[in-house]
Amino acid sequence: MFLLFRNLFKHQNAPDYTLLVVIFSLIIVGGVMVYSSSYVWAEYKYGDMFYYLKRQLLFTGAGIIAMFFIMIIPYGTWKKYAKIILLSCFILLLLVLIPGVGMTRGGAQSWIGVGAFSIQPSEFMKLGLIIFLSVYLASNQKYITSLRKGFIPSLLLVFTAFGLIMLQPDLGTGVVLVLTCMVLIYTAGARLSHFFGLAFFGLVGFLFLIISAPYRIARITAFLNPWEDPLGDGFQIIQSLYAIGPGGLMGLGLGESLQKYFYLPEPQTDFIFAIIGEELGFIGGTFVLILFALLFWRGIKISLGAPDQFGRFLALGIVSMLTIQVMINISVVIGLIPVTGITLPFLSYGGSSLTLTLCSVGILLNISRYSSV
Amino acid sequence: MKRVSAVTVRKRIVTVFLCGLLILAIIDFRLGYVQFVIGDQLMAKANNLWTRDITFEAERGNILDVNGEILAENVSAPSVMLVPKQIKNPQKTAEQLAEILDMSVDKAYEYVTKKESMVKVHPEGRKISEEQEEAIRTLNLDGVYLAKDSKRNYPDGNNLAHVLGFTGIDNQGLMGLELYYNDKLSGDKGSLSFYSDAKGKKLEDLADIYKSPKDGLDLKTTINTKVQTIMERELDLAVTKYNPDGALAVAVDPDTGGIIGMTSRPNFNPENYQEVDSKIYNRNLPIWSTYEPGSTFKIITLAAALEENAVDLQNDEFNDDGDISVGGTELHCWKSGGHGHQTYLEVVQNSCNPGFVNLGMELGKDKLFSYINDFGFGKKTGIDLQGEGNGILFKPENIGPVELATTAFGQGVSVTPIQQVMAVAAAVNGGYLYEPHIAKEWIDPKTEEAVETIEPNMKERVISEETSKEVRLALESVVAKGTGRPAYVDGYRVGGKTGTAQKVGPDGHYLKNNYVVSFIGFAPADDPEIVVYVAIDNPKNTVQFGGVVAAPIVGTIIGDSLRALGVKQREGGLDKEYMWPEQPKVEVPDLIGLEKSELTEYMTNLSIETSGSGDTIINQAPQPGAKVEQGAKIRIYLSDKKDNNSE
Repeated sequence: MFLLFRNLFKHQNAPDYTLLVVIFSLIIVGGVMVYSSSYVWAEYKYGDMFYYLKRQLLFTGAGIIAMFFIMIIPYGTWKKYAKIILLSCFILLLLVLIPGVGMTRGGAQSWIGVGAFSIQPSEFMKLGLIIFLSVYLASNQKYITSLRKGFIPSLLLVFTAFGLIMLQPDLGTGVVLVLTCMVLIYTAGARLSHFFGLAFFGLVGFLFLIISAPYRIARITAFLNPWEDPLGDGFQIIQSLYAIGPGGLMGLGLGESLQKYFYLPEPQTDFIFAIIGEELGFIGGTFVLILFALLFWRGIKISLGAPDQFGRFLALGIVSMLTIQVMINISVVIGLIPVTGITLPFLSYGGSSLTLTLCSVGILLNISRYSSV
Repeated sequence: MKRVSAVTVRKRIVTVFLCGLLILAIIDFRLGYVQFVIGDQLMAKANNLWTRDITFEAERGNILDVNGEILAENVSAPSVMLVPKQIKNPQKTAEQLAEILDMSVDKAYEYVTKKESMVKVHPEGRKISEEQEEAIRTLNLDGVYLAKDSKRNYPDGNNLAHVLGFTGIDNQGLMGLELYYNDKLSGDKGSLSFYSDAKGKKLEDLADIYKSPKDGLDLKTTINTKVQTIMERELDLAVTKYNPDGALAVAVDPDTGGIIGMTSRPNFNPENYQEVDSKIYNRNLPIWSTYEPGSTFKIITLAAALEENAVDLQNDEFNDDGDISVGGTELHCWKSGGHGHQTYLEVVQNSCNPGFVNLGMELGKDKLFSYINDFGFGKKTGIDLQGEGNGILFKPENIGPVELATTAFGQGVSVTPIQQVMAVAAAVNGGYLYEPHIAKEWIDPKTEEAVETIEPNMKERVISEETSKEVRLALESVVAKGTGRPAYVDGYRVGGKTGTAQKVGPDGHYLKNNYVVSFIGFAPADDPEIVVYVAIDNPKNTVQFGGVVAAPIVGTIIGDSLRALGVKQREGGLDKEYMWPEQPKVEVPDLIGLEKSELTEYMTNLSIETSGSGDTIINQAPQPGAKVEQGAKIRIYLSDKKDNNSE
C-alpha cells in the first residue's frame, strides 16, 4: 500500500492546499449548520436531536476518506473507465424508473437502494456525464465547431440523460446537468451561432415541459408572488424569506433561528441557506458565498493549469457543476428563481449529495497535483 | 474544419469564470436586499407568525348621568373555552355542553373535537348566564374552562335605550352613545405575546412580551336620570292612552345645549336588542324623524318678526276673517270663520294662521329664510349621536308667495325634533343657538377625575336678548291664555306653543286624519332652565290636536322635572285664564254630524272627551245650545256611519 502511494506521488505534486482549506471550511460550516437547523425536527421525529447530525458526520467521514482516496488516483484513470461509468449511470437511471425498484421521495422517483444506503442515480449521472463528455470533447475537439459532427452528438448525449432524469422527474438536477454540459461544450469551442439555435429550441422545449406538468407553472407563479398562495405553492418561498429577512446584518445568532421550529419544512436540506441567513445574517451568508467563490476560483485555476485537454475539461466540468448548483440553490432560497429542489453542495444534509460532492472535489484535487502553473 | 486553438479555450474558461463571479455577486446583492431593504417588513410579518397573543380585554367605560348615576356598566359573564386535547370523553362532554348552552350535540361535538389547542365556543358559549355558569362549574368537566369576560348591563332597562345604544358580542359599540364614543369607551386591549413553534408550542427560551390593557374612560352625560324617568313614564302613559304610531320627547338645557332627557317610542331593551325589528333601534325619532313642524314653527316667524321690528305685539292689530289670499291662493285659518279682530299677541295665543302669513310677508322671503337658516334648520344640528336627519327647506329659487306664507306658519317645511328644540331654546335663552350634546365629561375610572370636559358649543347668535324676552312673554301668554293652556304649571311660568301637523303620505299628498301632534314648552319664562318637546304621531281615540294631546304631557314633564331639579317656584307670572272676560259662559256648539278632524277649532275654549270609535260625531252631551263654563268637558260619541247623507 505504502509503495503504491510512493509510486503515485512520484509523478504528482502537492494538491491545491487553498482548495483543501476551502473544502474543509465548507464541511465544518455544513456540519454546524446541519445540526443547528435540524435538531428541532430531529427531536420531534426521532426523539434524538442529533439524529441528522450523526448521519451527516458519518457521510462526511466516508466522503472525506473517499475524497482523499480519489485524490491520489491519477485522473487519467477515469478516462479509461469513462464509457463503463456512463453506461452504469444510464442503467441506474433506467432502473430507478422501474416501479418497485426506484423509491419515491418528495414527489420524484429518484432513489434506489435500501433505507439510509439509498442513492440518487441522477447525482451519479452528473459526474458520469462530465467525465464522459470531457473525454469526448478532448478527443473530438476538432469537430466541435461542426454542427453535425460535434455539436449535435454532444447535445444528443446530454439531452438523453436529461430526458431520463426528467422522467423521475427531477428538474433541479436536470438543469444543473444541462447547464454544466453547456459550459463544457461552449469552452471546447462550439460556435455561438449554434448556441443561439439551441436557445431557441430550448425555449420551445421549456414551454413544452411546463405545459406537460402544470405544477411547474404553479411553482413559477409562486416565485413571482409567493403571497398569492401563502399556504400552497408560495409556502416554501415565504417561509424561506421569513428566515432570511429577520437575519439582518449579524443574524439572530447561531442556534437562534425561529423558522426552524417547524415553520420551514426540513430546513436542514434544500433550505439550509435560509437558516444560515437567519442565524448568521448577511455576514454569514456572504462568508459562505465567498467560500464558494474561492472554490470556483481554485477550480478554474486548476482547469487552466491542467496538463491536458481532458484534465482541463474535467476540472472545469466539476467546478462548474458545483458552482451552478450553489447558484441555483441559493437563488431559490432568496426568491430569485422558482423552487427547483436541489441541495446546496457541502452544506445540505444528505448522504448521496455529500459523498458525490466530495468524490468530485477529490478528482479536482488530483488534477491540481498535475498543475503546471 | 476550423481547429479550436488553446487560446480560445482559455479565453472561454476565463469568460465562464467572470460570468460565474458576476452571478455570485448578484446573488449576494439580492441577499442584502432581502435582509436590509425588505428585512423589517419581513421581520414584522415573521413576528406575527412566531408569536401567539393572549389578549387581555380592557374594561369598557361606564356611561353615567349628570349626577353620576350609572346608565351603562359591565357585569361579569364568563365565556366557555375548550382545550380539546384534555377532553377525555368528547361525546359525553358534547352532550352535556349542548344541553347547558342550548345548541345541537353535533355542533358541540364539532367544538369539542376541533384540532386547535384552544377553542372558543362562539357564539353559543360567549357571555353565558349565571345559571349556565353554575351548571358548568358543577359538572367540572375536563378541558372545559370558563374565561373571564363581561357584558354590558343597562340598569334602567328600556329607559334612554336609543341614546345609550348597545354593544355587540365583543363589547363593541353598535348603536347610540356606545357607538359614537366607542373608541374612548372601549380603551385599548392588552396582550401577552409569547413565541411559539409552528405547532403552537411555547418556546420557553424567549421572553414574553406583555402589554397591559388600558381601560376605557367613563362617560358622564348631560342626561338627568330623574327627568329621563319622568319623560319615560309620561310617554308610556301616552302610548297606553293613544296607541300612537310613534312618540318622542326631548328635554334640553337651553343655556348649554346639553340634552337632559330624550326618549322615543317604540323602544327596546338594549340588552336584548335582537328581539326587536332593526327599524326600532335604528330610528331614534328625536333626531331621525323629519316632518312638518306645524304651529311650533311659528315661534321662529315670531322671533324673526320681533327682531326685525316688523310687529308690535301689544299695539299692532290684525283682523282674521278665516282666509287670507296669497298670490291668488286662499289660505285658511284652522278656525273656520277666523279669530276676528286681534292684537298680534292674541294672534300668537290663538295660533292664527293668517296673522302669521301676514308676519311672514312683512318680513319677506329673504329675511324669513335667513332666520330659518340661522336657527339651524335644513342642516344637522351636530348632536353626538349617529343617524341624524337634515330636514327639508324650500330651495331659495322655488320660494314664491305661497311657499313664503305656508312656511311662516309651519307648513311645507320639514324639520327634525332636535332642530326645533334647539331653535326654540335659542329663541328663549337670549338668542344663543347651541349645538346639542350629550357627552359632558370623560372620567378616568381609576382616579375618578375628569380628564376632558365637553364645553357647550354656541354656534350662532340669532336674536337679541330683548327679542328673546318678548318671545318668552308671548309664549307664556299662549300657555296662560291661548292654545297651550293644558301645559300650564302653577308657579313655574311655562311658555310654549302647540303644533299639529298633517303627515305627508308616500304619494306626496297629505294623509287624512293622521297628524303629528306636538307641543314645545319651556320654563320658567323669566330664565328658562328646560325646554321640553313632545310629539305624538297619529294618536288614536282622541282629537288630534297638539293642545289636547301633547300640551298636558309637556306640562307634567316640566312641572315634575323642575321640582326634581330643585328649581325655585316663581311669582309674578301670568295667571291661567279660565274664562274669556267678555264671554263668561260658552254656548255649546252643535257638533253632531261633524268629522272628528273638524273639531280642532272648538278646542280653544272647550275640552272634549270621546266615546266610541270612528270619525263622525253622532251625538254629544250637553246638547247644543246649553251654556257651559269656559273649558268645560263636552262628551262626544263617535261612529263610522254617517247619519247625514250630505256629500
